[in-house]
Amino acid sequence: MSGGSRYRHLFTPLQLGSLTLRNRIVFSAHLTNYATQDGRPSEQHAAYYAARAAGGAGLIITEEHSTHPTDWPYEKLIHGFHPEVVPGYRRITEAVHAHDVPILAQINHNGGQASSMYTRLPVWAPSPVPDPLFREVPKAVEPGEIAEIVAGYALVADHCMQGGFDGIELQCSHSSIVRGFLSPATNLRNDAYGGSLANRARLLLEIVAAVRQAIGPQPVLGVRLCGDELIENGSTIDDAVEVARMVEAAGQVDYINTSIGVATATLYMIEASMQIPPGYAMFIPSAIREAVSLPVVGVGRFKDPLQADRALAAGQCDLVGVVRGQIADPDFAAKARAGQATEIRTCLSCNQECVGRMGLNRWLGCIENPRTGRESTPAPIQVGRRRHVVVVGGGPAGLQASVTAAERGHRVTLVERQARLGGQIPLAAGVPSRAELLDITRNLVAAVGRHDIDVRLSTEATSELISGLAPDAVVVATGARPIRPWWAGSAEDFPTVVDVRDVLDGRVHPEGRVVVFDELGFHQATSVADLLADRGCAVEVITSGMVVGQDLGITLDMETWNVRAHAKGVTQSTDVVPMSVSGTESGIVLGLQHHPTGTDRAIPCDWVVVAGHQAADDALYRELQGCGVAAPIHRIGDCLAPRRAHSAIIEGHRVAAAL
Amino acid sequence: MTAAAGLGDPVSIGAHSAPSRLLFGPHETNLGTGRALSDRHVAYYARRAAGGAGVIVVETASVTSNDWPYERAPLASDCGPGWRAVADACAPYGTVVLAGLGHAGGQGSSAYSQEVMWAPSAVADVVSREMPAILDEKGISAIVAAFGAAAVVATRAGLPGVEIDAGAWSLLRQFQSGLTNQRGDRYGEDRLLLTRQVIDAVRRAVGSTGVVALRLSCDELAPWAGVTPELAEPMVAELAPLVDLLTVVRAGPFSTGAYRPDGHTPAGFNRDLCRQMRAAGGGRAPVALQGSVVAPDMADAALAAGDCDLVEMTRALIADADLLTHVRAGRPERVRPCILCNQTCRVRDPRNPIVSCVVDPDSGYETRSPSVSSAASVAPASDAIGSVATASGAAGSVSTASGAVRPGRPVLVVGGGPAGLECARVLAEGGRTVHLVERSARLGGTLAAAAVGSGRDNLRSAVDWLAAETQRLGVDVQLTAAADAGAVTTRLAEGWDVVLATGSAAMTDRWPHAGLPIFDPLTVLADPSVLPTGVIAVADPVGDGVAVNLAEWLATAHQREVVLICPDQVAGTQLARTGDLADANGRLQRAGVTRRLRTLIRAIDTDGIRVEDCWTGAPDLLPAAAVVDCGHRLPDEGLYLDITAGGGRVRRIGDCVAPRTLLEAILEGRRAAADLLGSPAPAGAVVAGMAGAGPSGARR
Repeated sequence: MSGGSRYRHLFTPLQLGSLTLRNRIVFSAHLTNYATQDGRPSEQHAAYYAARAAGGAGLIITEEHSTHPTDWPYEKLIHGFHPEVVPGYRRITEAVHAHDVPILAQINHNGGQASSMYTRLPVWAPSPVPDPLFREVPKAVEPGEIAEIVAGYALVADHCMQGGFDGIELQCSHSSIVRGFLSPATNLRNDAYGGSLANRARLLLEIVAAVRQAIGPQPVLGVRLCGDELIENGSTIDDAVEVARMVEAAGQVDYINTSIGVATATLYMIEASMQIPPGYAMFIPSAIREAVSLPVVGVGRFKDPLQADRALAAGQCDLVGVVRGQIADPDFAAKARAGQATEIRTCLSCNQECVGRMGLNRWLGCIENPRTGRESTPAPIQVGRRRHVVVVGGGPAGLQASVTAAERGHRVTLVERQARLGGQIPLAAGVPSRAELLDITRNLVAAVGRHDIDVRLSTEATSELISGLAPDAVVVATGARPIRPWWAGSAEDFPTVVDVRDVLDGRVHPEGRVVVFDELGFHQATSVADLLADRGCAVEVITSGMVVGQDLGITLDMETWNVRAHAKGVTQSTDVVPMSVSGTESGIVLGLQHHPTGTDRAIPCDWVVVAGHQAADDALYRELQGCGVAAPIHRIGDCLAPRRAHSAIIEGHRVAAAL
Repeated sequence: MTAAAGLGDPVSIGAHSAPSRLLFGPHETNLGTGRALSDRHVAYYARRAAGGAGVIVVETASVTSNDWPYERAPLASDCGPGWRAVADACAPYGTVVLAGLGHAGGQGSSAYSQEVMWAPSAVADVVSREMPAILDEKGISAIVAAFGAAAVVATRAGLPGVEIDAGAWSLLRQFQSGLTNQRGDRYGEDRLLLTRQVIDAVRRAVGSTGVVALRLSCDELAPWAGVTPELAEPMVAELAPLVDLLTVVRAGPFSTGAYRPDGHTPAGFNRDLCRQMRAAGGGRAPVALQGSVVAPDMADAALAAGDCDLVEMTRALIADADLLTHVRAGRPERVRPCILCNQTCRVRDPRNPIVSCVVDPDSGYETRSPSVSSAASVAPASDAIGSVATASGAAGSVSTASGAVRPGRPVLVVGGGPAGLECARVLAEGGRTVHLVERSARLGGTLAAAAVGSGRDNLRSAVDWLAAETQRLGVDVQLTAAADAGAVTTRLAEGWDVVLATGSAAMTDRWPHAGLPIFDPLTVLADPSVLPTGVIAVADPVGDGVAVNLAEWLATAHQREVVLICPDQVAGTQLARTGDLADANGRLQRAGVTRRLRTLIRAIDTDGIRVEDCWTGAPDLLPAAAVVDCGHRLPDEGLYLDITAGGGRVRRIGDCVAPRTLLEAILEGRRAAADLLGSPAPAGAVVAGMAGAGPSGARR
């Protein structure tokens, strides 16, 4: 057990109330959107949690279950207050217990952090303070309604006990009516539930008592607190420590979980992307742990078991929440324990298909794990007859196709024309603020190495070469190439109008005044703007859309991008369409039209960097049509249609699973 | 097809006869279960068939499983049972029910299918910015076959035919348009080829007596390469002989919002286009006019003018399913008007909201909340009540003479905004004697106040209708009449029911302020001359239509210099739901309104407005002469608190519970009335805003 020696704390057991956890790794609560249309837990829930239990997690805490009909902020919330949820609960708990892992249910009422869209009922909150995201004025709850809220928690806790859960966690942290009462920003009451911290914590303590009474003395009860709301007049760490003391003094709670931020105001600090340093929130469990003797859970971008072990060694926490790390690799814990940490499919903290899909009401996925969200469907089977699969192109699509095919038992030859694997990923990750994106190919390349795949670098695939390999199947994943926009003139006439890829691969080195055109609304334009501003360029990013880098909003990179842009003097212009480029003695002039008003604008500059759509590089695929290769020929990833990395991974996996 | 026919007259659609010329067009509902139609769909369509719709096109279903444009988009192969149920439910009314069939092509989504989108050429949609794959001949043939197969499913389900979608979000339009079809093959040379192949495949499936309808974009509003009316004329000439019904629409990849726009676009905006296309079609197929036609008189005028043979009035039928019943009975004034607000009927939104209507919240909820209004309003019994009421005296009278003949306890409604009016209306319709007191000199509350400016004046018709209906039903309305706790308590003691709908009040201490005047938008809308000279700052922490429209109105109608201050990256973020977001920002810029985006107001003093960038904290000082605070309002709950402090039990509804939108006002007005009338409580009816409401009222 090399893992046991490598990690001195991570795999030591911990007593949590009546439960003995086998290690310190918690799959803590997070939304999945796996609930059925009518708010019931699904088979997918069970399979999803079971996969992490099988993968060695020490404790699993489910996503929240709503405690009252007034609480329905997003469509696929589990309606815990319906007794009909119990059979679904049983499916989940049985699936997880089969792996001898305990599982708690998180129960919650989101309070004012909601809208009436689904309930058609007034939103309930301590005071009529509209939420910054939902922007609906809530109804200030009356005394009878407070009693109803407390009763709702007890009711749902009872359902959870019937459903076989080992305990309950109360989410009082980032999206909760309890947080709403705790926070001076949202609690303006002047009755017994407002004013002093003791008054603001009254609802929490009433709920703790009611839930403990509902579940009895044995099951575990935890409370998740927010250590800093990061909002104006919000709760801060001193409040959280004091509330933790009150919770401990109540004598009915077994552990404290922590978080940072408010989900509807400062979500980018809750589910931090790669822009935020790992371990950024550990000041919270550290402070609480000093004040109470209950075990404390710390969270915040734990990607690596060693990092988690160090947090435990430093006494920052007793348990470590690893959510995205286990979304990306359900076997995170088992691999670490077995001394195979290098085999962990490390989370990128890209937020693209997990957090990003949540905000759009879609089921939870993962950019690099095509099985996430699909655990309840059959996994690819091992092949009876080993075939020779030739994959052309070593970007994410080709790599994933190679790995999945090899995992199924096929013989794989991977042909890549460049001297390295990874396709466009290493370029994109070459920008310092996007460095962790490289994990996607690092993980895949490591998997290629483990599977005895015949990799031929610096090799141009031709139909002759492929015929010579005598494949049983060919997968073409030859990627995409930049397109010169119609308004950009020719490269000969305007050599300083270039593509993002030209900058990132070092073919050109823009200096002076640079305009970056964002046609894609993702990281391409903002990354290169970041990079060039760091190199001393005066950068303006323009877009025909209403917002530069629009989709940075869904990955929670919008705030940090704008803060960086401001600090570096990067300016932004929206609603403009490039129309022309012309030369002057001192550089070039980019002609724009502001489409809402039809007014023209000319920007004198030295360079224009285009973050634009690419063209599918499908020449080989076309060449292979009718060239005499008898094997079926598949086309995946950008050479089918240039898109984002998750499409490449999905298609690589899918094509190989079907071979 | 006589030009003089009216909306209520029958019309031939191929071999079938539709009982009226009123078309309920296909639209997203999010009523489905997975990708199948649900019982909610069935009830939704049946209600419109019962109300007299001549043709109903069911929500467009994708013909292939990898076309999955929104999560609840129906899939034709899953729709057989649902189509059958809709057909059966609508059969008693003779309505021609067609299956909507479509393929969104490059305007779909890969999020649900996890598969690439397919399109004529490598042109990314401007909304998703996602590059589609290019269809080859084999892929095209498969899609043509899929249209045919879907039509077979529809026919076997008992439907007379289908409508093929070549409108706002459609692969067929993408093939027809130079914006999206850059192919060099026969599908590029003949851009109608795919459309004809699909019509052909569908025709074979439905047979010669089956109906093949086509929804065709005849103007993509992108003349540099898109379909223009001039280009559409020969298209219509070519296609009209092949189909049994042609619905003329406009929309393209840059203008999907122009298809069913809100009230900023004039009602009936497609009349000229439709007339032109009807002429181009040469009478070979009946032509339906689409495009914000909501008033029956406009529909009749369009029919009489020869613009069209049918009129699509989708949103009007969402607002009042019984529209044609009223028209046929010669009382068009009783049609509950669509106000073209798009607030809840436009549901192409990732949150999957259920289609509904601010003035008829039962729409979309037909199986959940037994309607307490529409069915009753056309029954003879309610006319009898109406006549009694009329005999009892005009609105505004203090007479309570009608109370003597009415069952149940009398009801006092405090507040004449939409919540109070709707509550009074439904109670009166249910036979209760209703007294409504309104403290101001007019009815309509904030809704009436907001009915100002371009695109907002439609709101007025909702107020007018509520006022007219309450008058017709004999509600005793007292204006400039205040109700205090003592008076209410007296009424309670006398056994009256009391409903409070006292509305909202402005928040006065949103920011530290001194020096500059801060105005309530209601004051400014009523009289913009109250504003001092100089720059007017419109503060918009909400992002709905209020501030955006006020800013635009001040700049255009009153030539004021306006700066709109909001915390978001664009103005009016909540207008995404109505489809007006991009247009609203364009209008503001064209009106010369300065948008201070991403900006928080910190303090207001004599130097101006002290602001900060939301994310960077960078401070700035904006000079201004006055601030109009369009922020959230607070419940006006003083009366409620006074009464309950004295032990009184009253219901409260609408903004005095929590200031929200028209939908909640109408919904809660209706619920309170239904509750008092003793009818089954609508779904979701935790007694809204009632003190100490028990969990027994919880949603089930």
